[in-house]
Amino acid sequence: MFIHYHMTPTPTTMHPEQTVAEAIELLACFPFRHIPLVDDEGVLQGIVSDRDLRSAKPSSVAQSSQRAMVESKVMQTRLSQIMSTNCRTLSAMATVDDALFLFEANAIGALPILDDERRLIGIFTIGDLLKAYKTMFGVGERGAAMISIVDDGDPRIMSKLIGIMEEKNVHCTRLLRKSATRRTKAMIYLRVNTYNTRAVQKAIEAAGYEIHVPYSAV
Amino acid sequence: MRHGSSLILVTDPAYSRHDTGGGEHPEIPERLQVIRDAFDHSPFAQSIHILLPRPASRAELLSFHDEAWLFRFEEAVLSGRTYVDHPDNQVCYESYSIATLSAGAGLSGIDRIEQDAGQDIIFCLTRPPGHHAEANHPLGFCFFNNCVIAARYWQNRYGRNRVAVLDFDAHHGNGIQSALESEPDTCYISIHEHPSFSYPGTGWEEERGLGAGKGTVLNLPLPPGAGEEQVRRLLPKIRSFFEEMQPEALIIGAGFDAHVEDEMSGLAFSTPLYTELGRFIFELGRDFCSNRVLSILEGGYHLPRLGESAAAYIAGLLKDD
Repeated sequence: MFIHYHMTPTPTTMHPEQTVAEAIELLACFPFRHIPLVDDEGVLQGIVSDRDLRSAKPSSVAQSSQRAMVESKVMQTRLSQIMSTNCRTLSAMATVDDALFLFEANAIGALPILDDERRLIGIFTIGDLLKAYKTMFGVGERGAAMISIVDDGDPRIMSKLIGIMEEKNVHCTRLLRKSATRRTKAMIYLRVNTYNTRAVQKAIEAAGYEIHVPYSAV
Repeated sequence: MRHGSSLILVTDPAYSRHDTGGGEHPEIPERLQVIRDAFDHSPFAQSIHILLPRPASRAELLSFHDEAWLFRFEEAVLSGRTYVDHPDNQVCYESYSIATLSAGAGLSGIDRIEQDAGQDIIFCLTRPPGHHAEANHPLGFCFFNNCVIAARYWQNRYGRNRVAVLDFDAHHGNGIQSALESEPDTCYISIHEHPSFSYPGTGWEEERGLGAGKGTVLNLPLPPGAGEEQVRRLLPKIRSFFEEMQPEALIIGAGFDAHVEDEMSGLAFSTPLYTELGRFIFELGRDFCSNRVLSILEGGYHLPRLGESAAAYIAGLLKDD
């Protein structure tokens, strides 16, 4: 769950005194959208995103005769003039959950990861967040299937389900309990590594639990 | 029934000796017997001819699989192991050689297609199945990827590079996609239960191929409960995809576990739907591939419906214009 395991270490950086033109060229060459700006000691000074760079340029539909001149001026602008300096950051010991809350509350796409001296050691993006949760929940893992079980409130349901998996010698990699919401029942999600999911379902049903099958309404 | 067409069943008695250990394992020898019985009692019973397959050679297996996997598989069965990597993948002492014979069925079928210019219907009644097998490991009862090995053979032996694999088993053929997804000439189309609910958890609609193979994969996941209506909506998409890809040979991963009574999936295909699929596949073969169509059995575990569904599929392939 620690950011350290999911961030991109030693990301590409620029100096605040470099220009908008250089940043645009860099983003055109690589598949990322955020550039942390650091000083000569590697201490974070700010961050620029592709959105910041687009906003700095005059609109592509502008007809003004001044447009070319303005664009030329923008391209020579120092990044220090357009960077976000009050950007949110995390330490390597922060968790993926910390990042989730920051992304949700601040409408940002990337978080610089800093050491105790505010030196940049990594970057964590929304794409990294998705990958981290995908890995945690086993989404797309080859050879697995998910079984949904209606949670009847039995306080021992989790241990009973694990007991069934052990008894049937079924490899189980995830067991997740989710409370009811206004739109969904309380559910338990079980990810099993077996082709014969029906045999697992039957064993769970035989123990008195209800398998939830979201049959197509179409 | 189409005049002059025979059903060539590529099959071997040895397939029944691949022992999956009894118990609750669903991939059992009786699967082939119920299909054979259904065919023998069908309207096309008199047109059945048996073709004994040859085993796939080591070089043919290596056209997809890693040598390390071949050694590991052979060593596992010869040392008396009862499964490889996962209890799903049950084996017996003879499983390696039987799997080479299962992989060989498609190759013998392709030779026949090329000899008779696609006049006959070729169905490989074979086990163990193949579409989950990866280059270096078994998965979901599958050891060698029969469809991929057949595709490679069509390319290498007959120079038909533009091979399409259409897989209507209820489960996504992850091994086929792995093999073909980076290639520009081959393509893979799969109708399967949505990976959020179904083994093997792959086959997302967004996966369309990689690199030079971008656009060559067409995953068509269906929600649990989907049947005739949902499948019929997919057929024009598949036809458009063929128009774009222009394949010259077609391999069918023919699995019948999407049947409503088959508990191995949540899909709800009817038996007559398999006749529709057979008819649709015949038309694809006729219109794009000069009738070069090879069907290879994949899954299907509800014994009474398995035989009936396979017979319905063949009836569709043989149906008169």
